[in-house]
Amino acid sequence: MNKIKEIYEYRLMVYSLVKRDLRGKYKGSVLGFMWTFVNPLLQLLVYNMVFSIIMKAGVEKFYLYLFVGLIPWLFFSAAITGGSTCIIAQKDLIKKIRFPREIIPISFVTSQFVNMLLSFIVVILVSLVSGVHLTVGGILCLPVIMLVEYLMALGIALISSSLTVYFRDLEHILAILAMAWLYATPICYPEEMVPEKYLSIYRLNPVTPIVNAYRDVLYWGRTPDLTTLLLAVGIGLVTIFAGVLIFGRLQRRFAEEL
Amino acid sequence: MEDNVAIRVSNLTKKFKVYYDKGRSLKEVILFRNRNKHEVRTVLNDVSFDIKKGEAVGLIGHNGCGKSTLLKLISGILYPDGGSVEIAGRVSSLLELGAGFHPDMSGRENIYINASIFGLTREEIEARLQSIIDFSELHGFIDNPVRTYSSGMYMRLAFSVAINVDADVLLIDEILAVGDANFQAKCFSKLQEIKEKGTTIVIVSHSLSQIENICDRSIWINEGVIKADGTPLAVHSEYLEFMNEQRQAAGGKSLDIPPEYVAYMQERRYKENLKLSMIPEQQAAVEANGGQYRWGSGEVKITSITASGPDGVGKRLFEVGTDVYFKVHYHVEKPIKDAVFGIGFFRNSGENLYGTNTRIDGHPNFDLNEDGEFTIIMRKIPLMPDQYTVSFSIEYGDGVPVDYWKDALKIDTYRQTPDVGGFFMEHDWEYEAERQDDNG
Repeated sequence: MNKIKEIYEYRLMVYSLVKRDLRGKYKGSVLGFMWTFVNPLLQLLVYNMVFSIIMKAGVEKFYLYLFVGLIPWLFFSAAITGGSTCIIAQKDLIKKIRFPREIIPISFVTSQFVNMLLSFIVVILVSLVSGVHLTVGGILCLPVIMLVEYLMALGIALISSSLTVYFRDLEHILAILAMAWLYATPICYPEEMVPEKYLSIYRLNPVTPIVNAYRDVLYWGRTPDLTTLLLAVGIGLVTIFAGVLIFGRLQRRFAEEL
Repeated sequence: MEDNVAIRVSNLTKKFKVYYDKGRSLKEVILFRNRNKHEVRTVLNDVSFDIKKGEAVGLIGHNGCGKSTLLKLISGILYPDGGSVEIAGRVSSLLELGAGFHPDMSGRENIYINASIFGLTREEIEARLQSIIDFSELHGFIDNPVRTYSSGMYMRLAFSVAINVDADVLLIDEILAVGDANFQAKCFSKLQEIKEKGTTIVIVSHSLSQIENICDRSIWINEGVIKADGTPLAVHSEYLEFMNEQRQAAGGKSLDIPPEYVAYMQERRYKENLKLSMIPEQQAAVEANGGQYRWGSGEVKITSITASGPDGVGKRLFEVGTDVYFKVHYHVEKPIKDAVFGIGFFRNSGENLYGTNTRIDGHPNFDLNEDGEFTIIMRKIPLMPDQYTVSFSIEYGDGVPVDYWKDALKIDTYRQTPDVGGFFMEHDWEYEAERQDDNG
């Protein structure tokens, strides 16, 4: 509880770091902040060409199917891979200044999250243009799904960032893991393509319910299934709880290890 | 904890693992298990003390004694292996200046970032914004990106934020050496002001005189334990004595002693009116330079030099345009006749700025039979803000040096106004244009 209060007192630091990160990102490029929108559109174009022309997945409006899953995934994957190095990247701050260390992963994940939110403007537009009938219930569910994904990503970033300080290989291991994870999640293909006998293992993937929930709203145009949503909320809470505990334990020696 | 205690350190112990060759990657961990040999070094061993509210305390000790570790433990950057630190009120640690500065953002935006890292809320920053900008003297530049700043401007901005945090407890590690002498003097008086407001201050510094000027108490840490605790003057004397013994035990040279100590010790000895023989610190200073900056036949030796204003109180920092008094003591080993006293000013780069002696100035030569002193008063020194080396000499009338001490003393100058250049030139303006009093 004390921790939460302390982090709340440092909220301006989160805001400043996120702002600094977003401002710095496209500095010097011609399109500048427009890249936040152009980048997902171009990615969509590439994936669409690959999967509708070369590797046909047999799904109607595949570009949308893919897009709705991919944008949340890119956020999640950035939180895992980039999150693992965020503490090391800020070692000068950690060694010299006292502040709740959680601020660093929180700022990192939040800035990725803001990026995702901006991309979602494009996602929703594409979804509307494609003729998906968005339901009120579905739209109301979106912030909940996003929040759950945020908590999960933050939980994982808390764990990976603190572990990487002690064990630097994790950075590279996580990069591979993130790639494998993408294919273990129904993003580039529908879940139905997974052979029956692997399905029980496949279903253990905690990201799947989240992706499915997004897809319910933005692809199928329906309110997400309550069990899917509850499962996602549960997973999100467990991850964040584990993340806070592990991080709290490991952060004590950060200043010495860095 | 009692009401009047600001910091309570109880049985504090901190150990560091010192790796001989640390492997952090998987391969190294598995393949070279025995390479991960380490020894555990106890940096602080069962240290306890209280610091009262409003007290200003200096932590001293040689490099690696644990004083910086202690400061980091108090600030909460490091966690103790044993014991505890209790603090009443908000802590601000000035261990790093300009934390989180982003070069592409403006000075104003960076104030927000930097201050937010110190834990200030938006309202708190807004309330302090004007005093931060005023203190930094960057009014015209505050909305320019920080990358366009000179390093001096950068440090000024960073220090201004840090000093305006308004904490109950202020922890400072060796950062008073920022900016030019002018700004340093300003930081110094700001610190005095903060102290008068009742803020508890803990300073780690190599500059003993700085600690003496600000602190009421000094704690000397040696080998992880408190060796002495008391008034700065008492503790520092003991400390210097100890360092001196250590150095002599180490053969006079090998121990790493910053030159400020040597200069400081000279001054101290002089103040205490110790014997006017050649003091070991000066020998050390000469030896440290390989002896190449001091030479002469040695019948008479300069024993101490004090720079001061008209009041005679020794100091190193002078305002441009004021009078500087150099009082030079000498010791006569063997009486000499026909001697000349000289002085010279040099830039740190070695450039000779001015030099003269009693013969050039038309004074009769001196016969030196016993220890004595002479004073030279440099009127309205025109040297613009920088550090200067002052040399002193005693030589025979024919120019043969008896004691020529080239790097005898360093002085700094500062100036209140932002005019530029190497020398101050006295001047007046005359004009006919109509004067505009109201800029509004």
